Amino acid sequence: MTAGAQRATLIPDPDSEEGAVPVLAVSAGNEIYAFPLAAIREILMPPPLTEVPRAGEHFLGVIAVRGQIITLVDLPKLLKLQVPDRQPLGRVLLVEVGEEMIGVAVDHVVQVAQLQSDQIEYSGSMSAELAEYVVGVARVPLESSSDAEEMVILIDPQVLLGGLK
Amino acid sequence: MSDPRDNVQQEFLAEAQELVEALSRDLLLLDEAHQRGERADAALINEIFRSVHTLKGIAGMFGYKHVGTIAHALEDLLDDLRLGRTSIGDPLLDVLFDSVERFQLLLALDDPQAPEETPGVDAYVAAVRSIGADPVVDGGDPLDRYAIGPAVLSVLTEYEEHRLRACIREGMQLYRLRATFDLTAIDDSIETLRDVVHDDAEIITYLPSLEGGNDESIELVVLLASRVEEPALKAHFEGQYGTIEVIEERTHLPTIPPNLTSIPPDAQSVLPQSDDEMGQASLRSLANSVRVDIRKLDDLMNVVGELALVRSAVSRVVEGFDGDPKFRQSLRELERVGRGFERQLSELRTRILDVRMVPLGQVFSKFGRIVRQAAREHDKQVRLVVTGANTEMDKLIVEELADPLMHLVRNAIDHGIEPVDTRKRLAKPTEGTLALNAYHKGSNVIIEVEDDGGGMNAHKLRETALARGLLSAEAGQELTRQDMLNLVFLPGLSTNTAVTDMSGRGVGMDVVKTNILRMGGVVSIASEQGIGTKITVTLPITLAIIRALIITVGPRIFALPITAVREAVPFAKQDVRTIQGRKVITMRGETLPICDLGELFGIRGARRQNSRFVIVCSMGNRELGFIVDELVGQEDVITKSLGESLSSVRGFAGAADLGNQQLALVLDAPSLFSEYFEGADAPLAVETRA
Repeated sequence: MTAGAQRATLIPDPDSEEGAVPVLAVSAGNEIYAFPLAAIREILMPPPLTEVPRAGEHFLGVIAVRGQIITLVDLPKLLKLQVPDRQPLGRVLLVEVGEEMIGVAVDHVVQVAQLQSDQIEYSGSMSAELAEYVVGVARVPLESSSDAEEMVILIDPQVLLGGLK
Repeated sequence: MSDPRDNVQQEFLAEAQELVEALSRDLLLLDEAHQRGERADAALINEIFRSVHTLKGIAGMFGYKHVGTIAHALEDLLDDLRLGRTSIGDPLLDVLFDSVERFQLLLALDDPQAPEETPGVDAYVAAVRSIGADPVVDGGDPLDRYAIGPAVLSVLTEYEEHRLRACIREGMQLYRLRATFDLTAIDDSIETLRDVVHDDAEIITYLPSLEGGNDESIELVVLLASRVEEPALKAHFEGQYGTIEVIEERTHLPTIPPNLTSIPPDAQSVLPQSDDEMGQASLRSLANSVRVDIRKLDDLMNVVGELALVRSAVSRVVEGFDGDPKFRQSLRELERVGRGFERQLSELRTRILDVRMVPLGQVFSKFGRIVRQAAREHDKQVRLVVTGANTEMDKLIVEELADPLMHLVRNAIDHGIEPVDTRKRLAKPTEGTLALNAYHKGSNVIIEVEDDGGGMNAHKLRETALARGLLSAEAGQELTRQDMLNLVFLPGLSTNTAVTDMSGRGVGMDVVKTNILRMGGVVSIASEQGIGTKITVTLPITLAIIRALIITVGPRIFALPITAVREAVPFAKQDVRTIQGRKVITMRGETLPICDLGELFGIRGARRQNSRFVIVCSMGNRELGFIVDELVGQEDVITKSLGESLSSVRGFAGAADLGNQQLALVLDAPSLFSEYFEGADAPLAVETRA
């Protein structure tokens, strides 16, 4: 891969004028998650999936992207959330983690949002297990939502996907 | 990955590695000549000096301090050697050989600046320095006796002057060769002349004669030293290269050659000499080749794969127009163009694979040093004979081969070739021969490691296997001699109980076999007691493409490398028996353990009824039948490894694209075997015939 992906940060720089971080909001299962936009290499229509027997439940299998073999994981299952099987897959996010490119299967891509630092609530009320990968939760005004704001879960992809087994 | 500092570092490491390999090769030649009691080839010593000199230069540039320090000390020593101030002997050779290992060790370090992580740099430098110059023997300057003008002598470099003296001392005759060279190709021509002359004579120097040339050419006067008599030398060079004349000793013919003396002292600038010439030579060689990271070739190959997808996408679009008579003519044309495109694409693929090919000599060259060292440690005399070093294989295979081959080579010296006194007693030549042969056979490369040592004792192998419980008594009864020899591939079996420094360090023949199988190769043994052993390794030319049997289990598609497959037969459920908790069937009177891939992988939808197949695979002396649903056919596939995140999942060597982004997992037969037989009753496993 080309330029080493910069460590995407979700913590807005308070000194920067905008003080905003662009994030990609996606839906999977019953939740909306946000990834730092800088961490996403590409969004794909899911190519044919080849399941890998005996791999952990959160591994959906492998896909071929431009000749490369890429491991595909399911976001809710990785977060150990109880969700029904959601075939067919909606979209695949390609995320570069260390040397490896990993595909993250989600249901829909919702939108790109600018996240202001004052929107993020770091004091998570989430489980300890989740807290490891989750930077915080934020209320983001979503175009598609009739509500004024929607609660999104901010994911740190490097922690979530690094050292995946 | 794009860190420019990293790239530069890689570039340095690659170049340094090449220099060290060249050094290692040249040292072996030097050692061979020395052991044969021959005079050291001056050109060879010069070559070694150049390698070390260049290494010193680039090490300094990239901050490899220790490499630089060692290279510097060696450079001084080698300079003494090439100027005749010191002579070749075992202590000197030992120090030089030692340097190769030290360089490799230092280059493998992550941090080039690491202060003194590698102890012994100073001690080593001291050892190098301790080999001082020989005492000077003064017998009068031999140059005085020859009619070589002071103008010539004054432009000779110190090295050239030394060689001139050395040649005279050795009783060689001096000659003056006049030859005309084309100005545009003068460097190449001189190199050619050097090569031609090499066996017969040594070029001391060459100078322009300032006559006989024109705008396109120049006449050079080449000063030669040779043992060959004048008529023979004349016959060889006259006409083809120009005229040749003897430079007589002054006592006989005290004439001063007019042409040589007519050269003004500053004329040397016409031609690059010594160091400058060296710089130019290396620049020239760089111009013809580039070093490419193998990953870039993988990327190129991926693009080819993409192009194939584009081609099939175009076909799909075209199908949309089918049946419309308006387009019939154009469609036919389009189909023709499409076929042309496919041909070019397949050509492109072949060419890219071709770029990955490197000569096996890259790994063979490492063995010379090991053979020498191992033979010395064991007080054995071993001659290494290499054939087919320029046989080409995929770079990845050549890299992977180094360890298994190294083990085979060490085995041959450690267990195969007998000590000198034993060989004498047996009336064998005291010097054992170890042959490394490589050649192409179809789409495979065969590599043989052959020794003329004691051979393997098949019965002793069987006894050991029985004693270690690797073989049941009944099974032991039925073994043929070849079966017994193959027992050496069983884990935990080594004929020599003494663990030596070289082999027997826990890496056995079973590991050699597994590694080679992993590359899609096979190993076989032929051995006659008292005559020798030959291990034959058969490998595909390229790792990237393997021939695989495509199979299905339920809805899943898998690829099984054909090298592991012996045969495929229809499976009849009623034949299954259970022995010691394992399912087996009987095939041609032999018991074959079976493994249902559907059960092993927990695949839902695998067939329950009869129309299934047993694929009999063999690995070492073990056989195992995999039960699958369907045989789709054979296909050449490109295996790509699964990502790091799936590395803990056992049983798969990677995945292969079957076209249209449809992937098949490639089964890893060695891993499935070891999983199946792990903790299993070993005697059952070997009960089946190899």
